[in-house]
Amino acid sequence: MSVAPNSTTGAPILVVRDLRKAYGSLQAVDGVSFEVREGEVFGILGPNGAGKTTTLEMIEGMRPIDGGTATVDGLDAGSEPRAVKARIGIQLQSSSFFDELNLTELLVLFGHLYHVQADAPALLEQVGLTEKAKARVRHLSGGQKQRFSIAAALVNDPRILFLDEPTTGLDPQARRHMWGLISEIRVRGHTVILTTHNMEEAEALCDRVAIMDAGKIVALDTPDKLINALLDRGFTKERRERLANLEDVFIDLTGHELRED
Amino acid sequence: MAGRVEIFWHLFVASAKTFLRDRTAVFFSFFLPLVIMLIFGVLNFGAAAELEVGVVDEAGTASSQGVITAFGQVPILTITEGSREDELAALEEGDRALVVVFPEGWELIPPGSDGFQPLTAFTNEATAQEGQTALLVVNAVVAQALVTAGGGSPEPLVVVEEVAGRDLGYIDFLVPGILGLTIMQLGLFSVAFGFVQLKTTGTLRRLFATPTSPNYFLGAQVSSRLLITIVQVLILLGVGIWFGVQLVGSIFVVLALSIVGSIVFLAMGFGVAGWAKNENQAAPVANLISLPMMFLSGSFFPREAMPEFLQQVTRFLPLTYLNDALRAVINDGAGLDVIGPDIIGLAVWAVISFVIATRLFKWE
Repeated sequence: MSVAPNSTTGAPILVVRDLRKAYGSLQAVDGVSFEVREGEVFGILGPNGAGKTTTLEMIEGMRPIDGGTATVDGLDAGSEPRAVKARIGIQLQSSSFFDELNLTELLVLFGHLYHVQADAPALLEQVGLTEKAKARVRHLSGGQKQRFSIAAALVNDPRILFLDEPTTGLDPQARRHMWGLISEIRVRGHTVILTTHNMEEAEALCDRVAIMDAGKIVALDTPDKLINALLDRGFTKERRERLANLEDVFIDLTGHELRED
Repeated sequence: MAGRVEIFWHLFVASAKTFLRDRTAVFFSFFLPLVIMLIFGVLNFGAAAELEVGVVDEAGTASSQGVITAFGQVPILTITEGSREDELAALEEGDRALVVVFPEGWELIPPGSDGFQPLTAFTNEATAQEGQTALLVVNAVVAQALVTAGGGSPEPLVVVEEVAGRDLGYIDFLVPGILGLTIMQLGLFSVAFGFVQLKTTGTLRRLFATPTSPNYFLGAQVSSRLLITIVQVLILLGVGIWFGVQLVGSIFVVLALSIVGSIVFLAMGFGVAGWAKNENQAAPVANLISLPMMFLSGSFFPREAMPEFLQQVTRFLPLTYLNDALRAVINDGAGLDVIGPDIIGLAVWAVISFVIATRLFKWE
């Protein structure tokens, strides 16, 4: 599903060196280093509590960095968090917006927070919410909310888009719709960094993935190479000759169309 | 820088809209004080209650009817005629202050003359004070009728001259108190709840993800609440004036006071909102601050009605300063010179609240 361009070209737009964060005695992020190239979709995978969100927040300038550096589009996130925030778009795991404003008003307001005039109709069209222009966020379905928060993250035409678990809690149709949306965003030239614990999602979307556990990166490569390396080590799985899984059955029976509410 | 002003303006509009579109918030801060004022204004608790006098006319003569008509002309008496049985029952139930009985064959004759009969009056021990007052009035009316009937001068024995002056009723007392109360509630609750909600829902976090400093947001929130308070004060004062409250002092002094008072309670609201992690923590603390002042700072009844030691303690409460100053300006036309000490009191509270609020404030 992913049409990765040659991901070995392109200059690094994000350079992370030995990033560290401790909460009391817990070393939440323990020396993380990686680079992301421009135009890449980069995934950070790992179980809950692995340090994915904390790593992202330090890179985004939303959390102080204990040790190491994160350089975002040439800017140091530790010393210039505001400048970093101006160039990136952030979708938070669970974020909410002013309850009493409608989607158009919110996008225009967020535009002002970035010193830009937001083109609300275009942003809403991009995420398929044109009909909801006058609706309040609380009246949206889960998938619509996630898509709206992507629209809000795109108001400043960011160089890098950070998505923290963009499909968690969505039904299969909404999840696949979100995958399509993320692919479109990368085609438009945005670099995308996302976290997930859905492996199928990582395989479908990401050019490269870093697998985190206990605050460290334990593997980093393209999904294909990681799988081949595992097979080379002699891994075998109980063979299943099925060419479909239960999700395929579900999608086949209920259709690909988005269900809103 | 124009860009900063613009950002501030848009956040200001957003936070004002958020407040005004929230029906619960609008109800509690706009309509509730209005309803309280309407209720008290219509009931007009402050007006002297009329004295209910029951009359039993067993005489049925022209002179008894004449005296009863004279009773009816006394403004503070409300006369009800009925049978002895009914009227005495009403007296027992406290529906009459006094029951006057004209015995059979009663005529308007001076005491000591032939055929003189006294009137009989019944009072209820439970309402003895009103009964005595009504009795004095009844006596005077009968005496006056005797003088007139005896060919005496119909001139009253005591000539009343009215002094032109303002009749300060309960509503005059109440309206400044409601203004003070509203300023407190709006400052304390709209911020404590509105802001904690932004915290718990993650809206604040989402704002942190933008390059705009959260201080803009804080500033916009405070100034939008200030504007809403001023509008609210103007509305309530307008309704008060419509009810006959006289605004003796300057409207600008009232507004200046409202702003100073607002700043005190907004700072307290931010202290609560900044400290609390969620609504369940914010609500009891906000109530703990507001409830004692609601009743002890003289919003609904004068503090002079409280025991002496309580008066000494409550005079230093911020709402007391605000209420006293508002009353002085609205009822007596006091200027800044007179209310200076109250403003200093409020300023001290503003500083204390601000220092505590900044110490307690947590963004997350």
